[in-house]
Amino acid sequence: MEHADQYSWIIPFVPLPIPILIGMGLLLFPTATKNLRRMWAFPNILLLSIVMIFSLDLSIQQINGSSIYQYVWSWTINNDFSFEFGYFIDSLTSIMSILITTVGIFVLIYSDNYMSHDEGYLRFFAYMSLFNTSMLGLVTSCNLIQIYIFWELVGMCSYLLIGFWFTRPAAANACQKAFVTNRIGDFVAKSAQFPLHVWLPDAMEGPTPISALIHAATMVAAKIFLVARLLPLFIVIPYIMNLISLIGIITVLLGATLALAQNDIKKGLAYSTMSQLGYMMLALGMGSYRAALFHLITHAYSKALLFLASGSIIHSMEAIVGYSPEKSQNMVFMGGLRKHVPVTQIAFLVGTLSLCGIPPLACFWSKDEILSDSWLYSPIFAIIAWSTAGLTAFYMFWIYLLTFEGHLNVHFQKYSGKKSSSFYSIKLWGKEEQKIINRNFRLFPLLTLTMNNNEQPYTIGGKKEAQGMHLDILSKLLTPSINLLHQNSNDFEDSYQFFKNATFSVSIACFGIFTAFLLYKPFYSSVQNLNLLNSFVKRGPKRILLDKMIYLIYDWSYNRGYIDMFYSISLTKGIRGLAELTHFFDRRVIDGITNGVGITSFFVGESVKYLGGSRISFYLLLYLVYVFIFLVISYFILF
Amino acid sequence: VYLVFTTNYFPWLTIIVFLPISAGSLLFFLPHKGNKLIKWYTICICILEVLLTAYAFCYHFRLDDPLIQLEEDYKWINFFDFYWRLGIDGLSIGPILLTGFITTLATLEAWPVTRDSRLFHFLMLAMYSGQIGSFSSRDLLLFFIMWEFELIPVYLLLSMWGGKKRLYSATKFILYTAGGSVFLLIGVLGLGLYGSNEPTLNFETLANQSYPVALEIIFYIGFLIAFAVKSPIIPLHTWLPDTHGEAHYSTCMLLAGILLKMGAYGLVRINMELLPHAHSIFSPWLIIVGTMQIIYVASTSLGQRNLKKRIAYSSVSHMGFIIIGIGSITDTGLNGAILQIISHGFIGAALFFLAGTSYDRMRLVYLDEMGGMAVSIPKIFTMFSILSMASLALPGMSGFVAELIVFFGIITSQKYFLMPKILITFVMAIGMILTPIYSLSMSRQMFYGYKLFNAPSSYFFYSGPRELFVSISIFLPVIGIGIYPDFILSLSGEKVETILYNYFY
Repeated sequence: MEHADQYSWIIPFVPLPIPILIGMGLLLFPTATKNLRRMWAFPNILLLSIVMIFSLDLSIQQINGSSIYQYVWSWTINNDFSFEFGYFIDSLTSIMSILITTVGIFVLIYSDNYMSHDEGYLRFFAYMSLFNTSMLGLVTSCNLIQIYIFWELVGMCSYLLIGFWFTRPAAANACQKAFVTNRIGDFVAKSAQFPLHVWLPDAMEGPTPISALIHAATMVAAKIFLVARLLPLFIVIPYIMNLISLIGIITVLLGATLALAQNDIKKGLAYSTMSQLGYMMLALGMGSYRAALFHLITHAYSKALLFLASGSIIHSMEAIVGYSPEKSQNMVFMGGLRKHVPVTQIAFLVGTLSLCGIPPLACFWSKDEILSDSWLYSPIFAIIAWSTAGLTAFYMFWIYLLTFEGHLNVHFQKYSGKKSSSFYSIKLWGKEEQKIINRNFRLFPLLTLTMNNNEQPYTIGGKKEAQGMHLDILSKLLTPSINLLHQNSNDFEDSYQFFKNATFSVSIACFGIFTAFLLYKPFYSSVQNLNLLNSFVKRGPKRILLDKMIYLIYDWSYNRGYIDMFYSISLTKGIRGLAELTHFFDRRVIDGITNGVGITSFFVGESVKYLGGSRISFYLLLYLVYVFIFLVISYFILF
Repeated sequence: VYLVFTTNYFPWLTIIVFLPISAGSLLFFLPHKGNKLIKWYTICICILEVLLTAYAFCYHFRLDDPLIQLEEDYKWINFFDFYWRLGIDGLSIGPILLTGFITTLATLEAWPVTRDSRLFHFLMLAMYSGQIGSFSSRDLLLFFIMWEFELIPVYLLLSMWGGKKRLYSATKFILYTAGGSVFLLIGVLGLGLYGSNEPTLNFETLANQSYPVALEIIFYIGFLIAFAVKSPIIPLHTWLPDTHGEAHYSTCMLLAGILLKMGAYGLVRINMELLPHAHSIFSPWLIIVGTMQIIYVASTSLGQRNLKKRIAYSSVSHMGFIIIGIGSITDTGLNGAILQIISHGFIGAALFFLAGTSYDRMRLVYLDEMGGMAVSIPKIFTMFSILSMASLALPGMSGFVAELIVFFGIITSQKYFLMPKILITFVMAIGMILTPIYSLSMSRQMFYGYKLFNAPSSYFFYSGPRELFVSISIFLPVIGIGIYPDFILSLSGEKVETILYNYFY
């Protein structure tokens, strides 16, 4: 199958016709295109599946005889400068393209149902396939300029997708923020990491499948991909490697702490994404390339699962609390959903467990690897990473418990005097049943993703356990590119060490889960007592200090670590101030000079007109004055 | 007749220059049968002209030849050797084609103009002639005459059609440009009369002439001021936002699409080609001014409330890239500058066009009054988003390629040291971050959000295929150049090498 490599330039172009056709159709024949509606989803998914099969084929080839293919065309023909276009196929590319296409297909299937009542159904699909195109282009690109090009295109797609519901002002702000941050990220070379993460939670303004696609699975993964691609460059400079791991660890901690107090389910998940990305960066910075990519893949599937499940929850909540995202995504209103959406609950639970790092699920293997590698790198980082793993388990279970356990909190709100009529609660049960039936189709990708999650460790991690490091598929795939790095990490993991580490990390995760249960109980019971505030009062004076601590952490987390505030004060205000200043300068000084010249010449003209006003007496006076001056001067000169 | 058409002596360029204005003067003899006849007549003339230009350039212009082609040389005024001398080369062919394209679309866009439409269309055609004339003249004095000639229709277009403060802005425009023209005239006469007893005004002869450095610098400054007003280069730019803010939008299209490019064209044609020594002295300053312009104007643009003024400032900011490209004195940079001339011609014109069409519907001038227009005018919203993406240099669009090539021009330039290069690149990068801020916030303020309009539906007149056609036909070249920039680079490549030959040997 040699030809597969030759034709692999086609990968990014296969999904491209769909957005072009839909775009042209919407512009030129809107009604006809809109009538076809659901028909468009099919070719969309079909083309993406073709790409998936193709990239599967490629990666099988890579496993059999891993080799790198590169092909280059020249783009501009000129004597002095030439830009080249081409494709570059190696194991990293094939893995990434499988990841993108599989997640993409599931998200497409899911969103066919999810978006079916939305006005912008077609627009949504056009954006999605454009996004997939540019992602595939990004992973197959062969030089930095091409990476930049597709990077910007990905940024544009995310701009469009986040701003999909353009009538919402929050979406409008969020998409602009995402684009600008992405632009800044171009020059700094990475984003969604510590200083530039601010767009990620705001980006949740888009439809939920988008959150799953972009912000969990692919787009943020692209950033990791970029660093991974450039790693051979960075590795020669230890400074940069240290910097990367430092940024990674800050992101890990920040994301985890910020995720603690999010009320919005999607934002909570977004911060958890950020924290997990931090793990990947940390791994890359430590030089354990393979662990980073492994975690990237496992996390992508788990997070996509979680997001799709949360989308399902949000859709069912919308029927009860209304269509405002502040309500339907608010976890305070959720609770006890286990009874109503059991399938979603199972899926969400699996995702949560996987993300917490509970053994048979995917993320356990990858996270464990990163954690054990971190001991080698630096103990301080390792301690932070380990404790954050516990924190991850805590907040993920916190989210899970708030959502699915207990009783539906909207219910209680009614008693506590907020304005929600009992009408809702009646409506709730009937609607829910319908919803579940309706959602069966939507749940299909969820289930598949769940299966994926379970399979992953057996295909990749499972082999690892059985045959040791050298033979597992991933490392085999990645061998050519990580020759430099992996000999030091290889010898380390014998099975004893592995078990030791594994038990430790699982126990930490369990500790986190346990804490979540512990903390959840009083909250739950207090809700049962229909008095939220009472519970804080009842605790007595001893716990005031603890409460203060909790409050402090909560406050920090709730305000997004004050980083957004800092940005809005320093950057936005700064730029606005600069704009005002330059505008003022432009108006008053530069233009002022021009207008001043105009006005002066006007006055000069007027005065000349006044002087030359053809009055004889004035001329005579002037004449006499000059004669007088002349006489005086001649008098002085003569005598 | 057969002989005439097969040889190259057929006066293609003279016909191309004279056709619009002479056909336009026939407008006054057309019967008074309403505006429709006038509009169709003008559009037919424009299309004929474009086709003629395209035909002449297709069959009588060879891309691999850096010399002047389609040359014409007639003695006009005997006693001081003034010739009617036309000719095109790789540098001027792009702007001429751009002129034809944009003017045709602007005429199509001027469909809603009803007041004095006879005069309006005549002025459009006169401007067409003037612009092609100045791009194709090979004689310094002829260049000056064409340059001045083209101001008159612009002035009239500005002062008769447009917003409330149009007289103020038209006066400002004419004073600014006339002031610049004084320096141009000084430069032209100085260059022409230097050295010999007989005035030499031919570009070719002038290009081989050398001057004392001090004199060359003086000439250079004179020309620079003239072109800086037109381009515009800071701090001589303030006529532009006022003019664009008040003008009718088809005038705006012409102003942004073509008129600004005349300044940049003049910089390359005269300052670079005729005065190479002074240019290599001045080029660092040009680059500094260019980078300052990108930042300064981009941040000024953020402070604008008026939509058209904001777009106007954005075009001034993009002119900064042209100046940097010209100042870099590299093959790459100059090619980038020429590409940016063409690319911004399309993008700037398209943005003004879309601003105009949305103004037709909303009747709102200030950005903070707008909002939520995406629901009512989705197609304009789509096109506006695409073209503001093009304006902020999204890959795949022409603006990106141009800016990228200018970037490379600066980086590969051997004239400058590493540190200044890094600094300039850094500042340009800041400019490229500011660009999405202002252009995306523009589209956010216009279209995003939600707002109930109780405007009567009569505002939604003139909608439909005409505007869609115009915006798509601008969009196609933008994306075409973005994907395959050799379209333009192959036109200018040879000529650029010839120009830069003077600098290295």
